[in-house]
Amino acid sequence: MTAGRAVLGLAGAGLIWYGLLGLPSQLGPAQLVGLLTWMAVAVLLHDGVIVPLSTLAGAALTRTGSRLRPASAGILRGTLMTGAAVSLIAGILMKAQSEARSISALEGDYAGNIFGFWAGLAFVAAASIYAVERTGRTRSGKGDSRQNTRP
Amino acid sequence: MQRPDPQKITEALAARFSSPTRSTRLTVVLGRWLAVSFTICFVTGLFSHGLQNPPSWMFFPTSPVWIYQLSQGLHVTSGIASIPLLLAKLWSVYPELLRWPLVKSIPHALERASIALFIASSLLQLTTGLINTYKWYPWPFPFRETHYWLAWVIWGSLLLHIAVKLPAIMTNWNGRAVRLTELQDAGSGSPAAGTEASSIAGVTGAAPGRWSRRAFLAGVGVTTGAVVLTTAGQSFSWLSPLNLFAPRVMGTGPQSVPVNRTATEAKVADLATSAHWSLEVTYQGSSTTFSLAELRALPQHEQELPIACVEGWSQMARWRGVRIRDLLSAVGAPHASVLRVTSLEPQGPYRLMSMPAEYVQDERTLVALELNGAVLDVEHGYPARIIAPGRPGVLQTKWLHTVEVL
Repeated sequence: MTAGRAVLGLAGAGLIWYGLLGLPSQLGPAQLVGLLTWMAVAVLLHDGVIVPLSTLAGAALTRTGSRLRPASAGILRGTLMTGAAVSLIAGILMKAQSEARSISALEGDYAGNIFGFWAGLAFVAAASIYAVERTGRTRSGKGDSRQNTRP
Repeated sequence: MQRPDPQKITEALAARFSSPTRSTRLTVVLGRWLAVSFTICFVTGLFSHGLQNPPSWMFFPTSPVWIYQLSQGLHVTSGIASIPLLLAKLWSVYPELLRWPLVKSIPHALERASIALFIASSLLQLTTGLINTYKWYPWPFPFRETHYWLAWVIWGSLLLHIAVKLPAIMTNWNGRAVRLTELQDAGSGSPAAGTEASSIAGVTGAAPGRWSRRAFLAGVGVTTGAVVLTTAGQSFSWLSPLNLFAPRVMGTGPQSVPVNRTATEAKVADLATSAHWSLEVTYQGSSTTFSLAELRALPQHEQELPIACVEGWSQMARWRGVRIRDLLSAVGAPHASVLRVTSLEPQGPYRLMSMPAEYVQDERTLVALELNGAVLDVEHGYPARIIAPGRPGVLQTKWLHTVEVL
């Protein structure tokens, strides 16, 4: 494994070096500074905004989800994760639409689409959670020992 | 006054961000998914780059005709799929960011530097790659060159990262073995071997209100599926009914085909619609000009070929016009020729296009005069344009001006 690691590591370092040497061959100093600035901002936005916000949301969900069965809590978290990721893409898309709309590009009703997407997602999630909770309650009523009990 | 202890501060922060769902096994599974999507993205990106900037050894497949439609559709779709995968992967290792001391040794510093480079490059690459598909360029650097060189940096960082983490990856590769170890450790009360956050979440189910490792991975899978399904319809016709958040919709635009560069943007509207337009074909120092009527008088052929853009959208269409090899025969040039094709565009990176012999010899390569049963719209290259099988849309030159046999 040591030899394999060494080969992988050297290949990786070589490719990084190749890419880093290539950048200044086609980008001027001001463009390189712009690139580094954008990279730094991307990391700051991720580490300083997206993760702390998702952690806060997770803490709130832990409180809400603890009143639900584990499967329902998972569905709730999965729904919000899916909605958040799709909203992130749709949000950038809508910003681009306001800046760069042209013939046959960015012509969709994205606001309507994201509204419809959330509505569909919420309906499916609500129906699934309802089914899980109802089934769990029925089984609990019948004394099904396989079912997880509420905390 | 007592100085604050950085170790205590970072430990307190790490505790704030701790989650029993995080584990090395989770990171390894997400890393595998991300490695697959990044590799598809990298390989298809290199293929596209090679077609546009061919090295001497480059091959030019003309069959199947949808090969570039597929490869570039995969490129953009795998890039979009990588967004939730990367965010989930970074979430799974976030407490590592808060580890103290920041640097323990020179190898440790190099490792952290390579990870920082990987994260910064990946976040930027995916963000700018997505925004590029919207034809919106709010950054102060050239997209194409930056995208290409950063791809090498990212893939190199990925290999280096795998090399550094290989022991942990191997330990946590087999899910059943990891669960067994976790169960044994949970039974004995010791922390799970090889895990950064000892967690029984993946074994016995989730803590109240939280989700298990499996549920988290299922959530990431559903999320990735959702972003793919709602955007890939611009590249793959069987997904077009679900296309909610892609910048292009199949079947839209003049003659039911989307447009990338318009006649107004290219500043060709007057030249292209001039009654005096003609196509000049040059071979061995002599030129032959073909008026539109003369081109229409040559044998006409119809082909069903996709127009596939580097930005990921594509559209199958019916094209009708003169075979490029018939045009060469008309001026006495051999079919196995390399061509230099010029557009009426006064300037722009794709005003000049080089066409390798593989496309010239292919009977499906046309000087197209009609699209979907009607005369070409000026937005699609009226009076004449190139359409060849398996080439990027930017090389399907519109508003033809000259064809030079090299």
